[in-house]
Amino acid sequence: MGKPRWGSDRERLKTAVYPGKLNQIIALFESLPDAEKRESLISYAAAAMKQGPRDGETFDLEDIRKDEECTDTVGVFLKVSPQRGCAFRITLGPQVQTLTKAMTAILCKGLDGLTPEEIMEVPADFVPKIVGAELVRQRSQTVYYILTRMKGIARVWLNRERSAAHGA
Amino acid sequence: MSDKNYAHPEALVSTEWVSEHLADSHLRIVESNEDILLYDTGHIQGSVHIDWRSDLQDQTIRDYITPQQFAAVCERNGISNDTTVVFYGDKSNWWACYALWVFRLFGHTKVKIMDGGRDKWVAEGRHLTRAVPHFTQGHYAAQESRFDGEIRAFYDQALAQSRAGMALIDVRSPAEFRGEVTHMPEYPQEGVLRGGHIPNAASVPWKMAVKDDSTFKSVNELRQIYEDEAGLQPGQEVIAYCRIGERSSHTWFVLTYLLGYKNVRNYDGSWTEWGNRVGAPIERG
Repeated sequence: MGKPRWGSDRERLKTAVYPGKLNQIIALFESLPDAEKRESLISYAAAAMKQGPRDGETFDLEDIRKDEECTDTVGVFLKVSPQRGCAFRITLGPQVQTLTKAMTAILCKGLDGLTPEEIMEVPADFVPKIVGAELVRQRSQTVYYILTRMKGIARVWLNRERSAAHGA
Repeated sequence: MSDKNYAHPEALVSTEWVSEHLADSHLRIVESNEDILLYDTGHIQGSVHIDWRSDLQDQTIRDYITPQQFAAVCERNGISNDTTVVFYGDKSNWWACYALWVFRLFGHTKVKIMDGGRDKWVAEGRHLTRAVPHFTQGHYAAQESRFDGEIRAFYDQALAQSRAGMALIDVRSPAEFRGEVTHMPEYPQEGVLRGGHIPNAASVPWKMAVKDDSTFKSVNELRQIYEDEAGLQPGQEVIAYCRIGERSSHTWFVLTYLLGYKNVRNYDGSWTEWGNRVGAPIERG
């Protein structure tokens, strides 16, 4: 298992650095006043419906389920390249809340290409930087769910890889 | 809505009625949702957004804002004392009914609900806009105090109602009522330590009052649910509760406006207060 490419937890806490693409999104949101931050979240939410599987795509893992933590079914699809880069596709049921939709598009873009190990190391403390502490405080149940699901499928992928290695 | 024989048919308007009154200057349409960004994605033309939590609740103490703060919320949304306010929202109008109930707490009686809420408006293909309206600031004379005594119940009153065997209805899901879960499906456990219900409460889930399209059932159907099956009687003092007071606001609206009950109070502390309170009596099953 490799060390995250963006540094250890201690280094991260010192420098507050996140994976490259995610870091760019965070930096953008942090620079925006509240009204524009909200507007950007709406734009990302509108893009969420384009995050689903494309025709002909195949995946290493698919995890479609309805959890109590979310208002509708969410499908998470993972493909890991030979270079161990993750590509996520996500489907959302119509009742999924707007903040969850926004986080879906943000995370599909921000975590694209990271290794499964790196996905597992992504800290959740970036969420208030994007959504704003006020929205997190008011609607905390909706903003962490997609990250949890993405980490969950990455963990399953790693467990299977480990099992295969032990079985070989 | 007169064809459904509701006690106060004027309190319920159809999507069609709303679409015909978009330019009515005596009217303000208010969207209130669980999904905090939903209004921003598109809303009824001319509607304003009032959030049940950030606009209507005190941000420190678990309580509502003061009458002066309420007057300020109204004024910045172009609402004056004589403005008729039409509420609509997601989740079958839970938060719309909650906002309406809070408006009543502050003595604002010119209130209506758009039957079927946001989902029905969208399902009918009616127009949504992202343009946020700007109104001339309203003039709102604040009441001296809230009308808590009339339509709001507190823990001690719910306890007294329970001990006296008076009408107390639990509008949560059956599993929450039985104590099998402490939150409704699709919602996280929000720190309630005990499951169950207030002793002597009857289980009448809020959803029984609406049809599949989220519009309210007819008065005869509602009487069958609340009177024939749950045993309520007009004229009784009734307290309704749920988890945080939003679903019970929906039932409060049904009993007050559609069935015409005059003594209904919403226990907004609801299960998140009762289920955490040391020594509060609880029944299960």
